[in-house]
Amino acid sequence: MKYALFSLFIAVTGWWVSNPYYLQLLTFIGIYTILALGLNMLMGYAGQISLGHAAFYGLGAYTSAVVTVHWNYSPWLGLLLALVLTAVVAFLIALPMLKLTGYYLGMGTLGFGMIFYVLFREWRTLTGGASGLVGIPSLSLGSLTLDTGNGYFYLVWGTVVVCFVICERIVNSRVGRALRAIHDSERAAAAMGVDTSRLKVWVFVLSAVFAALAGFLYAHLVTFISPDSFDFIVSIRIVTMVVIGGMASIWGSLLGASLLTFLPDWLHVFSDYEMLVYGLILMVVMIFLPQGFARGMLDLYERSRAKYKRPTTSPQG
Amino acid sequence: MNALEPSTSVPQPLLKVEAVSKSFGGIQALYNVSFEVTSGQIYAVIGPNGAGKTTLFNIITGIYTPEEGGIFYDRQGIRGKKVYQLVRRGIARTFQNVELFDSMTVLENVLVGQHVRTRCGFWGAICHWPWVKKEEKEAHRRAMELLQFVGLEGVAQNRSSDLPFGWQRFLEIARALAAEPRLLLLDEPASGLNAVETEQLATLLQQIRERGVTLLLVEHDMSLTMSISDRILVLNQGKKLAEGTPREIQADEAVIDAYLGRE
Repeated sequence: MKYALFSLFIAVTGWWVSNPYYLQLLTFIGIYTILALGLNMLMGYAGQISLGHAAFYGLGAYTSAVVTVHWNYSPWLGLLLALVLTAVVAFLIALPMLKLTGYYLGMGTLGFGMIFYVLFREWRTLTGGASGLVGIPSLSLGSLTLDTGNGYFYLVWGTVVVCFVICERIVNSRVGRALRAIHDSERAAAAMGVDTSRLKVWVFVLSAVFAALAGFLYAHLVTFISPDSFDFIVSIRIVTMVVIGGMASIWGSLLGASLLTFLPDWLHVFSDYEMLVYGLILMVVMIFLPQGFARGMLDLYERSRAKYKRPTTSPQG
Repeated sequence: MNALEPSTSVPQPLLKVEAVSKSFGGIQALYNVSFEVTSGQIYAVIGPNGAGKTTLFNIITGIYTPEEGGIFYDRQGIRGKKVYQLVRRGIARTFQNVELFDSMTVLENVLVGQHVRTRCGFWGAICHWPWVKKEEKEAHRRAMELLQFVGLEGVAQNRSSDLPFGWQRFLEIARALAAEPRLLLLDEPASGLNAVETEQLATLLQQIRERGVTLLLVEHDMSLTMSISDRILVLNQGKKLAEGTPREIQADEAVIDAYLGRE
């Protein structure tokens, strides 16, 4: 039901917004929402941080770009390869990485993020080095080209809806509960028979695949990519989206992505101080709304409504 | 008194701990400890702080691997098995300080407890097959049944961290039972409970035993231990001090000296 409404809202927005600039901005929000959603599964639900997610975003973008620009294959083959390659790479990284916890995991993921950035910049024959790859073809479905008007907007937001459904189904399942259990108490989760290290690896892979999907959509939207689109700041931006929108909140990802895409656009003056503003936003949110913007507002609303209903039955009675 | 009268067949030990030793950086936490828990018993481990009770628990549940000795569950060696593998085989536990999943509801906690008795994975969840829906429905039904069993069905939708401490203990027991264990380990289940709740706990433990679950508990509350246990193991400084029925333990000179104290 809510997805029907959401889809309707998307359809109306796509039809109503005609300014190409705003249409592209909204398309970017969709791409960032997919990124934030993926990271939220890892960070918000399973409680494992990644400060290197731009690596997978970049891996998705570069894989598809190389497949289409250098090898002249269809972008859809590029998509397939991007997702598969990213899944494999994420799996191999996750095996040793997710043995770490807390700060160490943060440092570790930061490290691979940087390694990938250097790889994108220095592997010139394949990635075009610092000047990037140009001439990435736009997407088309049969005879339907998606580069004009709002075709791409609909493609991205259609993908967002699918991702939402996927995440919501996972969250409300046995696996989703196990993920949250790991977040709350890894010891107790293991005592319930959850194979915690295995599950952490898989959610990491899932989250990386989402990032690769977003990278694919990004590459074929802007038709030009360079390493700077996948550097450390981008990783931090994704983390900020998740935190602001609300950890363990699917709709919060949308909110976080929207806020962080619109804000820099509205506040042009900050362009040179982007990191500073993110830092400030992160601090304020963590101090005043530690559950994120969406959850924080909901909590305020609930608190103002009926007080917590105290149970009246007693155990064993 | 006991619900379980000696039957004609020889009762099989469900758990057998054989000459287990474990040390941590030169400190001998357990030394050459052996005992057997028969199916259907309530078996208690007591001893002063630092006697090695928690170490013993962590060895049986697979958190630690002992340097020496063997552990047999259902006649199979389980030494070196991982925690989640043991839960699958039917060994569940609760924690000394109650470790619930605080961000979840009471019901969801019990649902996580059924993790090893359900099988939906990532693909199952995404595709949402009919069997997944059926499994989920069945899991909810069983969870509510267990909540009813411990008397918490009225707060199923409350957040578990909002419950009073005593109720959290009962919830943790329900969550452990959700794994359908044959052996349930309870780490000081009465600590933090008031007198009324301790009474309720004693009744609950008897009822759990009547369901066919064997209980192994570490406990400080002497009156509880003495009244509900079939057998008691006394540990002192990592060694077995005595083992026997509550009556034998209460009369044991060494135990009185080390632990119970003289009047």
